[in-house]
Formats: sequence, structure tokens, C-alpha cells
Amino acid sequence: MNRGGYLVRRLASALATVAAAAVINFVLFRAAPGDAATQYQMCRTCSAEFRDYLRAELGLDRPLLEQFWLYVSALLRGDLGHSFQTRRPVWDELAGPLANTLPMVGLGLAFGLALGLVIGVVAAWRRGTAADWAPLSASMFLSVLPIQWIGLMLLLLFGGMLPTGGISDPYLRFSDPSWWQVLGDRLEHLALPSLAIGLAWCGSWALIARSALVGALGEDYILTARAKGLTSWRIVRRYALPNSLLPITTLIFLTFGYIVAGSLLVETVFSYPGIGLALYQAVQNRDYAVLQGGFLLLTAAIVVANLLADLLYLKLDPRIRT
Amino acid sequence: MSAPLLEVRDLHVWFDLPQGRVHALRGLDVTVGAGEGLGLVGESGCGKTTAILAMMGLLPPSATVAGQVLLNGENILAKGEASVRRHRWTDLAMVFQGAMNAFSPVATVGAQIAEPMRLHRVAEGKQATARVRELLELVGIHPDKASRYPHEFSGGMRQRAAIAMALACEPKVLLADEPTTALDVIVQAQVLDLLDRLRTELGLAVVLVTHDLPVVGRVCGRAAVMYAGRVAENADIGDLHLRPGHPYSRALFSGGAIPGAPPRLDEEWPGCAFAPRCEHARDRCHTEAPRLVPLGARQSSACHLAASIAGGTA
Repeated sequence: MNRGGYLVRRLASALATVAAAAVINFVLFRAAPGDAATQYQMCRTCSAEFRDYLRAELGLDRPLLEQFWLYVSALLRGDLGHSFQTRRPVWDELAGPLANTLPMVGLGLAFGLALGLVIGVVAAWRRGTAADWAPLSASMFLSVLPIQWIGLMLLLLFGGMLPTGGISDPYLRFSDPSWWQVLGDRLEHLALPSLAIGLAWCGSWALIARSALVGALGEDYILTARAKGLTSWRIVRRYALPNSLLPITTLIFLTFGYIVAGSLLVETVFSYPGIGLALYQAVQNRDYAVLQGGFLLLTAAIVVANLLADLLYLKLDPRIRT
Repeated sequence: MSAPLLEVRDLHVWFDLPQGRVHALRGLDVTVGAGEGLGLVGESGCGKTTAILAMMGLLPPSATVAGQVLLNGENILAKGEASVRRHRWTDLAMVFQGAMNAFSPVATVGAQIAEPMRLHRVAEGKQATARVRELLELVGIHPDKASRYPHEFSGGMRQRAAIAMALACEPKVLLADEPTTALDVIVQAQVLDLLDRLRTELGLAVVLVTHDLPVVGRVCGRAAVMYAGRVAENADIGDLHLRPGHPYSRALFSGGAIPGAPPRLDEEWPGCAFAPRCEHARDRCHTEAPRLVPLGARQSSACHLAASIAGGTA
């Protein structure tokens, strides 16, 4: 296959996935018992006339097919609808939290990957020794702990040293801070939630890296490399690692999607105003419009992560390139 | 006769496996001179591959090795990994059984051929690139293919590229483990002709491991017939066909089926390893292990009845 064909196919399947998610998103909320008017939290005691008025305003009195058409055409214009709660566009409600979540997840990912890959590579290289099982079991132990518990322990440990909640120091702006003071303040607030994510995931990454490397180390080209007179570290670096990057990349990008989608627990522990916390509040308020938009955004995040993985393959695997 | 280039003396290998200790190689003795071809033949499990991996110090950590591998009189196994690594690829190079997979899929063939040159300071930069092209040409591959990846090569091309890679540092000895098993007959013939040419033109000593007897004759003048981790007979190919000095080589080269199975290598026994399957076995064969003794100028056999077997009287 050629490079262009590969790209076109990947893009097409990414778009198809998002489209399917949009349809399911529509169907699920219509299939749920009741509708926005009867579930509307602020409207427990409303009169029947007011409910009808609400239905008309939300477009729920029209035939399903017409509703679907309205939904799809709005989506295509980039319009996710309006929050039931605040009446602001859903996009405005979610864009801020999403922009807060991404750097936090990114930093957590970088931290967990650095730790996990080092542990996994050393474990595979020194297979069967204490350098294999000791760090590996420690990281595995961490990753079976619930992430919110890790978060709470971090709060206990670092409580006095690092900020334990929020995204920035609300009093900082009164002291006319320089841009790097602002950045430092943001990083301090990112530190604990990112650390929690990194610790919770490094074990699985270490295990993936180790098994991918051990698999590659059993290949014939490794024996040939040894026969050529290469040292074992050079063999790991030049042969085993490049060949095990494919499975490692796939799983990293898959988990990236999960982490964005699953940031709810961490964000709740650290009161971090991200997408998880926003969705949690939307559930509390029965704000269907925000929920629907949020789910679509999360789906898109996972699809984009997978698409990035596919693009990276082009770089990593010459067998796809030609 | 001058001192042989490569001499293996009383080589033993034990593997410590979860099921117990396996004595895979039980005192192997072989020699090869420059420009010579030596076949290592025998049934699967007789220790052929173990022998050549041991010669390069490539056995897994579960293996214990005893004995000597002398290269121009120097025991290269004397100081373990440190002493053997210097000789890898510069003196002893190897073409593996899975040579089709001898190349890492994510680097170009040329880069992988050039790598040992740089490592052992044989050639660098442009000089190395030129040498890669030369080597590919030598094995009948267009030099421009150096920038291609292994998956763009056919099986036979990969095999020949693996041989080119083995020649990168001008080794003195080429160890080839079943280099043609996975290839079709025509490609097989090309690869064998190539090995034969390299042996005569470059004066390369070739040790060819195979269970395929016709293959041995195309490249090697001599063969060591292995049975249960030892040499049963060591002779010219012609003699092995016409007047074999060991009942096992006689059976092997006549192509007939041999009843029974080789002994279990996790056991020890007092007599000849082949005795339980041998139609000529006497009482002595079950109690006393035969040593490899000369039967002529170029033939030796580890059989109590060697003379009468070779003479056709038994």
C-alpha cells in the first residue's frame, strides 16, 4: 500500500467513528426515559403549559427525524447547542475545562511514560534479576491502586508544600506577577494531579514496554546482532527498542484517550476545573445539552489520539511507508 | 599439515532446564583449515546448532560450556564474553537458520551490513558505504538496494544479503546453520554455489550445519557426522558415501530409516550412544564408550568395529 492511501483510509475511518458516535449520542438521549422537560431539575413543579413551552423551545415537540436533521446540521456548523443550565453555548461551557484538562493529562502522561518506559526497558534488559522484578512489582502495585486513593495520599504527603486544589492562585493577580510567575503557579497546581495520573499508569506502561521488548529480544535479528559483537545495551537501544515501539505507541495513545475521558476522579479529588469536573456538574444538573456535547468531545479526543498513533506509525515502521 | 585455522577440542555444553540438566554436547572435536568446507551433519537434536553457537559464545545464560575453541591456537572462550566479543564477526561470522529474519525490519539492509564495520573499526563513512555495495554485488544483489528495507527483499535475497552481512569484516571462518532450509530448490542452489565460491575465492573456512546430505556435498569436502552430542565419524564426503567407518553414518548416507530414537540427553550412559540402535552392537559396545580413532589419513571413527565396518566385513 502507499502512503497516501494509508492516510486517506485512516482519516476516513476516524471521521466515520466520530459520525457513528454522534448518531449514538442522539439516540441514547432520546431513548432515555422522559425528556429534558420532565427531567429538568429546575422544573419539578412546573405547570403542564410551561413544560410544553420548554419542549417547543428545545425543539422536542418536532418529529424525531426533524430533530435529528436539526442536530446534525447544527453539528456540521460546529454548534453543540446551548446549556440548559446557563443558556450559554455548550462549546463555551466545555472549551475552558478541556483546555485545562489537556495540559494536566499531557504532563501526567509524560511523567508516567518516562517512569514506565525506564522501568520496562531496564526490566527487559536485565530480565530475571532484581532490576527486573523489584521496580516492576512496585509500579504494578501502584497501578492497581484506585487513582483517587493515590490522589488522596499525595494530598496528605504534599499538603503543605504544593497547592492541593484549583488551577491557579486567585491572589496572584494582585501582585502584578511576571509571566514566568504565572507559569510557575500553573505548574504547581498541575503537579499533584499529573503526578497521580503518572503514578497510576506507569505500571501498565512498564509492563507493556517490558513485554514488547522481551518479545523483540527473542527475534533472530537479535541473535545476529549479538554475533556481530554488539554489547547488550546497544542491542536493546538499536534493535529491540525500535522494533517494540509499535505496540508501545498503540497502547500509549489508546490510554491517552482513556485518561482524558477518565480525568473525572482526579479532577474531583483536586477540585481541578477540567472536563471531568464539568461533566460531573452537568450530570448533577441534568444538563443534557452539555453532557451530549461533552461525550462527543471525548469521543473526538480518543479518535484524534488514535489518528495521531496511525500517523506516528508512518514514521516508525518502514513497512507501512512504502 | 599446518596448524588448523579453527580447532574445537573436547567441547561440552550443559543446559540447566526446569526439567533438569541436559548434557547436549559431550566432547566435540572438529578442525577446519582455511579454504576448507566442513559439514556438521546428523539428526535434529544431535547438537549441531548448539556446537556453532558455543563456538561464538552465543548460548543462553542457562548453558554451561567446557572445552576449547582454538582460533590460530588461541582459546577464544578462555575469558568468556570479553574475550569472545573481539572475535565475533571479525574472525568468526555466522549465517543463522532464520537468516530470513536476520535483519531488523526497521533499519535499511545497508545500514545493518555496515554496522559491524564501524563497530570493529574495519571501515567508516564513505568507505563503509562502498564496501556494502561491493558485498551486495558479490552476492548478486544490485548495490542500490542497500538503501532498501528487509521487507522489500525476497526470501532468497535476504538470505544472500545475510551472507553479505556475514562477510562485512572479512572473517576467517563462516558458520552457516541450515542456510538453505527455507528456500526453494533454485534459490537453494544459488546460495550454495555462492558459499562454495566464497570458500575457494576468499579462502574462507566454511562450517555448514545441515541435516540435508546433498547440500553438504555441494560446499564441503569433509563432514563430521554427529550423534548424541559427539562426533561419530569424521571423513571426506566420498568416503562417507562409499566406505563409511561408523554404522550410524552408513545408515545416514544410505538413506535408510534407522529404527529407534536417539538417547535422552538428560541421561548418562557407559557405552556407545548408538549401541541401542545398532545392528552390529556387541557386549563391549554397551559398556565401553568408543573413542574417535584414525581409520586412515583423512578418516576417523568412534566405533569399536570401525575397521570391519569400513572394510565392509560387518
